[in-house]
Amino acid sequence: MENNATYTEEELLLLLKQQNRQAFNYLYRQYSGALYGVILKVIDDNQTAQDVLQDVFVKIWNNVSQYDASRGRIYTWMLNIARNAAIDKLRSKGEIMKSKIQTGEHIVNNLEQNIKTEQPTDTIGLRKMVDGLKPQYSAIVELAYFNGYTTEEISKTLGIPPGTVKTRMRSAMCQLREIFAVTKQEKER
Amino acid sequence: MNTAEYIASGILEAYVMGVLPPEEMREVAANVAQYPELAAEVASIEATMLSLSSQPLPAGLDDKIWAAIESSNNSAGITPGEAPTPTGRTINFQPEYRKPRQWQIAAAVAALAASAALNVYLWQQGDKQSAERATLAARMDSLAEQQKQLALQVDKYRKAKEMMADTAMQTIVMHTVVKGHPMAATVYWSKEKSEAYVSVDGLPAPPPGMQYQLWVLMDGKPVDMGVLPIDMANTPSIMKVSKPVTGGQAFAISLEKAGGSPTPTMENIYVMGKA
Repeated sequence: MENNATYTEEELLLLLKQQNRQAFNYLYRQYSGALYGVILKVIDDNQTAQDVLQDVFVKIWNNVSQYDASRGRIYTWMLNIARNAAIDKLRSKGEIMKSKIQTGEHIVNNLEQNIKTEQPTDTIGLRKMVDGLKPQYSAIVELAYFNGYTTEEISKTLGIPPGTVKTRMRSAMCQLREIFAVTKQEKER
Repeated sequence: MNTAEYIASGILEAYVMGVLPPEEMREVAANVAQYPELAAEVASIEATMLSLSSQPLPAGLDDKIWAAIESSNNSAGITPGEAPTPTGRTINFQPEYRKPRQWQIAAAVAALAASAALNVYLWQQGDKQSAERATLAARMDSLAEQQKQLALQVDKYRKAKEMMADTAMQTIVMHTVVKGHPMAATVYWSKEKSEAYVSVDGLPAPPPGMQYQLWVLMDGKPVDMGVLPIDMANTPSIMKVSKPVTGGQAFAISLEKAGGSPTPTMENIYVMGKA
């Protein structure tokens, strides 16, 4: 993950605008796994999820000129493209009812009843990490990062103040950072 | 700005996830650009998220996706090197756009002028036609009036003829009683029917304010038989006497004031005839 610091936002944007294979290679190495993980949260099928990922990269590549730095990070922009592409794909297949997209209520219910939703996809590592969080944190991470719920929507869904939603996001990230650091240290040994 | 508090609020996490309202996204982006410690924290958060969601991908997918990117560029038919081509096309198209426009303007002006001229012509034609219609209507009225007059005339002659044919009808010619003024009038009288007709074509038109009046002399006394229409004098017309004529020895016509008099003005008796 220290590779992320290789380029600043400005440098990454210049790289993308070169539109060459080297730029693509960096983009793919850096972001494909994370974007794929987000898509897999919506699309059950690995092959379909990979097709969506391909569409997402084509879209990112051809629409770099539309990226506006004053509205957010490049990764945030790509994340939005990936979420929307996954949901569009699901709708186009008429599979919305079968999807793994969970309403806030479902997540809250699962939380309260301590029932784990079935995860056919092999997301063991992620699952473990998110499960390692306290339940009230993992729900917020699920809703915000993977499902793209806004802080206001999460506030209404979970019935907690918007400020609390954000501080819990902060706590969740800090915990995850520690978990990753430990994992990394274990790997390095 | 207290960046430590700002970081602790969790707004940067929400920012990287892209789940803040658009205006807050802009605010945070501006703050991150301004404060290096915020930028560092944002980069750290992003790295954590990348690790959090990262899933292994099959080998060779990068080549497949790159091929898709290249083919999407080819299908668009535009590569950066070919950028000037559309510009050249635009320049080529411009004269073709302008020519039709000039022609269109000319055609529009011509069409407008023709339309205006046609309108004036049609308006004038309409005017002429309505004038002609009015003239024809007047002529029709005139003809109808003439026909009516002729019908009346024919009716009069027919009656006169019947009257003449009536063997019982007595004709009394009234002669002038004013010396030096040859005048005459005629009365047709049917004693059986007590009907009489009068014709005054031999009398001059009465002066203004005056009217001829017919009298019957019965036993020396003049009896009023009514005034004669002013326009009847000096015209070949005949009129039925409005009152029954049962008897009498003579007829006379005098000039009286308009509307008639109870007794004839003796010096104004113009004609007289014995039955």
